[in-house]
Amino acid sequence: MTVPEGFIVWSVLAPALILFGFALLTLLLAVFQQDRGFLAGVALTGIAGAAVFAFHLLMEAQHGVAESGFGLRYLADAHASALTLVILLGTALAVLVGQGTLERMRLDHPEYFPLLLLSATGGVVMVSAGDLITLLLGLEILSLPVYVLAAWRSDLRQSQEAGLKYFLLGAFASALFIYGIALTYGAGGHFDYANLMAAFSASGFEANLVALLGGAFLLAGLGFKVALAPFHQWAPDVYTGAPTPVTTFMSVVVKTAAFGALLRIAATVFASLEPGVFGGLLPGVLVVLVGATLIVGNLGALLQPGVKRMLSYSAVAHAGYLGLAVLAAGDRGMAAAGFYLAAYTLMNAGVFAALTQVMDDDDRGDGIDRFAGLARSRPWLAAAMAVCLLSLAGIPPFAGFIGKVLVIQGAFGTGHGFLAALAILMSIVAVVYYARVVVAMYFREPSGAVRTQPSRSRPVGAAIAIAVIGTIVLGIAPGLWYTLLDRGQNLLVFVAAR
Amino acid sequence: MISLLLILLPLVTAVVLLFVRTPVAVRGIALVGALITFVTATLLPGSAGLLTPWIPGFGAYLALDPNYAGGILALVASLVMLPTALWASLRVEVNPNRFLSALFAMWGGLMGLFLARDLVLFYVFWEFTLLPSLAMLAGWGGTQRRQATLKYLLYAVAGSFAMLLSVAAIRPLSGAESYLFVDLLAASETLDVLTQTWLFAGFALAFAVKLPLFPVHHWLVDFHEQNHPSGAADVAGALYKVGGFGMFAWALPLLPEGAVQAAPWLLALGAFTAAYAAVIAARQHHLKRLLAYASLSHMGLVAVGLFGLHLAGLSGAMYLLAAQMVTTGGMFLISGMLHARRGSFDADSYGGLASSAPALAATTLLVLFASIGVPGLANFPGEFLALLGAFQASSAAGVLALVAVIAAGVYGVNLYQRLYQGPEPTPVVDLRPLEVVVLAPIVAGTLWLGLAPAPPLRAFQADASVTVRQVQQAAARAEPLAAFEAPAVTEALAAFEGAAVNEPLAAFEEVER
Repeated sequence: MTVPEGFIVWSVLAPALILFGFALLTLLLAVFQQDRGFLAGVALTGIAGAAVFAFHLLMEAQHGVAESGFGLRYLADAHASALTLVILLGTALAVLVGQGTLERMRLDHPEYFPLLLLSATGGVVMVSAGDLITLLLGLEILSLPVYVLAAWRSDLRQSQEAGLKYFLLGAFASALFIYGIALTYGAGGHFDYANLMAAFSASGFEANLVALLGGAFLLAGLGFKVALAPFHQWAPDVYTGAPTPVTTFMSVVVKTAAFGALLRIAATVFASLEPGVFGGLLPGVLVVLVGATLIVGNLGALLQPGVKRMLSYSAVAHAGYLGLAVLAAGDRGMAAAGFYLAAYTLMNAGVFAALTQVMDDDDRGDGIDRFAGLARSRPWLAAAMAVCLLSLAGIPPFAGFIGKVLVIQGAFGTGHGFLAALAILMSIVAVVYYARVVVAMYFREPSGAVRTQPSRSRPVGAAIAIAVIGTIVLGIAPGLWYTLLDRGQNLLVFVAAR
Repeated sequence: MISLLLILLPLVTAVVLLFVRTPVAVRGIALVGALITFVTATLLPGSAGLLTPWIPGFGAYLALDPNYAGGILALVASLVMLPTALWASLRVEVNPNRFLSALFAMWGGLMGLFLARDLVLFYVFWEFTLLPSLAMLAGWGGTQRRQATLKYLLYAVAGSFAMLLSVAAIRPLSGAESYLFVDLLAASETLDVLTQTWLFAGFALAFAVKLPLFPVHHWLVDFHEQNHPSGAADVAGALYKVGGFGMFAWALPLLPEGAVQAAPWLLALGAFTAAYAAVIAARQHHLKRLLAYASLSHMGLVAVGLFGLHLAGLSGAMYLLAAQMVTTGGMFLISGMLHARRGSFDADSYGGLASSAPALAATTLLVLFASIGVPGLANFPGEFLALLGAFQASSAAGVLALVAVIAAGVYGVNLYQRLYQGPEPTPVVDLRPLEVVVLAPIVAGTLWLGLAPAPPLRAFQADASVTVRQVQQAAARAEPLAAFEAPAVTEALAAFEGAAVNEPLAAFEEVER
């Protein structure tokens, strides 16, 4: 691997810039061109363009020429490029779902696509950040469009509430995050990770307590975004209240971006703190958060009568499994998390996409009765939903299983066997609530009172197909993706070791 | 390559069947797929295995070894699956293509499960096979199918997830190079007794559910009672009782110290399961429930053989596992044929069928006798060796297990009497030509495993000796935890050197000659 040189490296910035450019372009085009399909096509073109560059960077990172811009403040190593691709995938799926459902839901405002692209731009910046200020910028760019999107259905109280709640708590989280940046800066005297690592690992470093407080606040700020308990309270309400296409986006892209940033910080900056009383404290806090998330998310999901709300809690639960990978930190943990996030993006977006085909136009009617007999009335939809749910439950041969094995192996490798056991115990609970939907689809007779949504949308069908095929392919041939993650090295760790 | 083909052929057939609707085409494809798969299975012994990286960096390989004990089980399972697929294509009326698709998916999954020599791959097949098995019960089961499916799902998943924990943990904890059996075996020494015991417990829970053993067997009876009346899904279920194989192939050799700690308890459970199930079987009126309990009793004997941790018992357990695939599978097929004639599984509503259906009666008698362990037929060598192993470990367990063998005679002969003897209410049709074709492989398998036990036994013994060596080394290395001290096992180990081990094999070789 070579150490990158140069300040402004356009190829490194390309994915984010292309997304940003296409966000502006779709916004501009929306003034003249009301055709939704056209705008979606433009958005998808932008995503594809960004993906080409991200894939190129990922391939370069494989061969040891990871690049970065602005010194080491904007990174394009394997971790950053891979998660950029995952974010792009999640965004593309959300674009397809939105294109297929917004009109029917009477939510058809042309700003949907530019807002998605802008938010994705923020996500890409977050996973590429090598500097706390860059990260903060990414976080805000990611969040602002999502606040608007969550309140997309302005005539529905739940959606308004979702937007407001997400905004207030998000602002609070940002404040915590900024406070964490301030403390970390106070401890290390730098904003960029590379210098912070050097400062923290230098002999004679004495501001351990301040650094730890900084780390705790950063963790709390990002913990909000990924919905780690006890910072998860907003998640079920917001995910449920927001229109389902928006939930699709939020549950996968926001989570990927925030976890990407969290993993990076955990594996570099705070891994440089001297182990011992202080160094061990931060992982200790994380262990408690992860354990609580696993319990709250899974038991919460078990108690929900509505399927969308159940899936909202299940999204919280998956933050817990990903937390295991953060604990494992290092290259292994990052590779495991990179795989898990890809699998999660596919299966979760797939299941939400399928949900839009069952629920009413006004985003109501997610009762389990709605799914009764779906296997008979729409066998393909039911099968796709079943695949995604089984994958979420971690049953082979689907991608979710491999992800689960990877993070659990990582947890054992770093001595968190107890937490791994808790994760598995909670997985058994998860099987119950996922199976409930499958059982309804395949066993129960459709009740006459409930009308099944007759809508069939081609773009949503495409999104579901991509998600299901991806879930199966990643489950059978996980090496295709995992090798790319595993071979790449963390650029900052490499530079620090030199 | 043959191994890979054997897994892929049924899976491809399963996918193709999903898209075929016309009954003739469904039958044709099922028949051709089954025949090709079976022929491939016969090429298995001695063929080359497969070893190629699957998830590089994670240490998982696509590793298949047809020459391990599992190869023989794969062959026998294919021998049973062939007539089962044929029978299902004749008897399943609602959505036969999907039913057959699930059946073929199970076939492929089972082949992978038996052939895999990488722990992660094994787990994937282990769990994958559950899905079609659930689908058959859920889609074509009886009126109580929902409850039966949920029960089966919960037991299976709770067990497998416990195993998943052990699977994920064993490599990082032992520091093995990969999840390949050989690498894990080499690294197993580094695990201390306590870790081994915990890991073994994870495996044991999963394997006990699928063996099944006494307290976690509740799913089994409902599973068989509720499955499709053709009995085809039951046969697949009988083949999927792979807990014993998992113990033999993975848990015992990899975690010998854990095995030594747990064996006495599991031995006792196995013996109790065997006796308990056999006694209950003798009181059953529902034909499938009776067969389910009989099969449970056989599985208790398998456990008894395994947890004696003795060469004869271990190889006998595998032999019994292979033999029960044929005999239990055959009995379920016959139950389906009886149901096709009378539309009932109530054993008491039959009687006197022997006079109008002598061929059916004769076949039943043969398979039933094999099932209850009559010498010269399939189950006997395995049962005998399993019991021998049990007696070496603990005579109390041996005696308890012997009750099962005696009770088997009672319920077996009694069942034959109830079905075929006595006054005949209404005559039935004797075996139709297609039914003869269906039962032919079963009869052949029964005779083959009964008359020529030496070659498979020798193969099983070669693999069992790895376990025995591991257990011996473990016993020599570690002091057992005081609370778990197991005199029975130590005695068994001492007896291992004795000549008793090789005598039965020699006897069978003579029989063969």
